[in-house]
Amino acid sequence: MSVYILPIIFVLLFIYCIYKRVNTYDYFVKGAKGAIKLVIDIFPFIASILIAVALLRVSGITDFLVNLLAPIFRFFGIPPELCELVLLRPFTGSGSYGILENIFVTYGADSYISRCACVILGCSETIFYVATVYISQTKVKRLLYAIPVALFASFIGTILACLICKIM
Amino acid sequence: MNIFWLIMMLSSILVLLITNPSAVLSEMLAASEDALELCIQLCAVYCVWLGIIELIEISGLGEKLAKLLRPLIKKIFKVDDIETQKLIAMNVSANMLGLGNAATPLGIKAMQALDDKSGKANFAMIMLIVVNATSIQLLPTTVIGLRASAGSTNPTDIILPTLIVTFCTTIIGITLVHIINKIIKRKKKA
Repeated sequence: MSVYILPIIFVLLFIYCIYKRVNTYDYFVKGAKGAIKLVIDIFPFIASILIAVALLRVSGITDFLVNLLAPIFRFFGIPPELCELVLLRPFTGSGSYGILENIFVTYGADSYISRCACVILGCSETIFYVATVYISQTKVKRLLYAIPVALFASFIGTILACLICKIM
Repeated sequence: MNIFWLIMMLSSILVLLITNPSAVLSEMLAASEDALELCIQLCAVYCVWLGIIELIEISGLGEKLAKLLRPLIKKIFKVDDIETQKLIAMNVSANMLGLGNAATPLGIKAMQALDDKSGKANFAMIMLIVVNATSIQLLPTTVIGLRASAGSTNPTDIILPTLIVTFCTTIIGITLVHIINKIIKRKKKA
C-alpha cells in the first residue's frame, strides 16, 4: 500500500502545478540548488559528531554504556542495538543520521532493527538543539517544563516504535 | 553541546591512550571520511526534496496547507494573531514533511512573534517546542531517502508505523503541556 503514497503525491503535485501554470523545471532546479549549500553547512556538524562517536566506540565506552543500560532498555522492549541512537538522538540530528547509516550497514536496511531505528528517528527530535536555537533570538532564558515533557513523549514514542515495527 | 562533545572526546581519547594509542588519529580520519560520504548521499536526498518543496511553495499549496491547519493551531496554541498563526502553521507543516532544516528558520520567527519580553517562556512557546519535538510525520523524507540509498527493497514501509507513533507522541505531548499549565495556574491562584 505505502509503495503508492509518494508517486501519487508527486503526480498530484505536478498536475496542480500545471493547473497553476508553474514552470516546474525552473523551480525544481531553483529548489534543488539549495541542497549543496545546506550540505556544506551541516558537514562540519556531522563530521565532528561522527568523530566523537567513532572514538567512543573504539575506546569501548559505548559498549560499556550499552551494557549498563541494556537491561533498562530491554525492560521497555527496546533492542540494545538501538541504545546508541536513542542516547544521542536528543543532541544531534545529523549525527543520528550517521548512526542510522551505521545501523543500515550493520543489520541491513530491511531488518527489524533498521525499521525501528527509522521510526524512532521520525518520532523524536534533536530537542536540546531545537530548544537552544529556537529561543536564541528571544529574551527567554529557560523553557520551564518544555524539555522534560518533550523527552518523556519521545521515550514513549521509542517504546511504541519498537512494538509497532514488530507487528507491521 | 560543547560540554557534551568535550566529555565524549576527552574520555575516549584518555581510554585509548592506555589501550590503543595508534587508533586515535586513524579512527578520527575514517569517521570524517564517513561523514563526507554521508553528506554526498544527503546532498542527493535534499536535492530531490528541496526541488519538490519549491514546487509546493510556488504553486501555493504551502499557503493552502497553512490555511487548513490554522483553526487547529488556534485551538492548541491559544494564539489569536493571524501572522503568528501562519508562521506556526508553516513550521508545523515543514516538520510534518520531515524537513527539520526547513522548519528551523520558521520556528525561530514564530518564537520571536510569541516572545512577550518577560524573560519567561509562555504557554504557546512551550507548546511550540513540544509540538516540534514530537511532531506528526506524514513523510519522513530524509529517512526514506537514506534507506532507499542503503538498498532497501521497500523504503516507504516505515511511513505508516511512523505516522501512528508520532500521532501518539504528539497527543501525549500536547495533553501533558495542557495539564501542567492547568496545575501551575491553579497553584498560582491558591
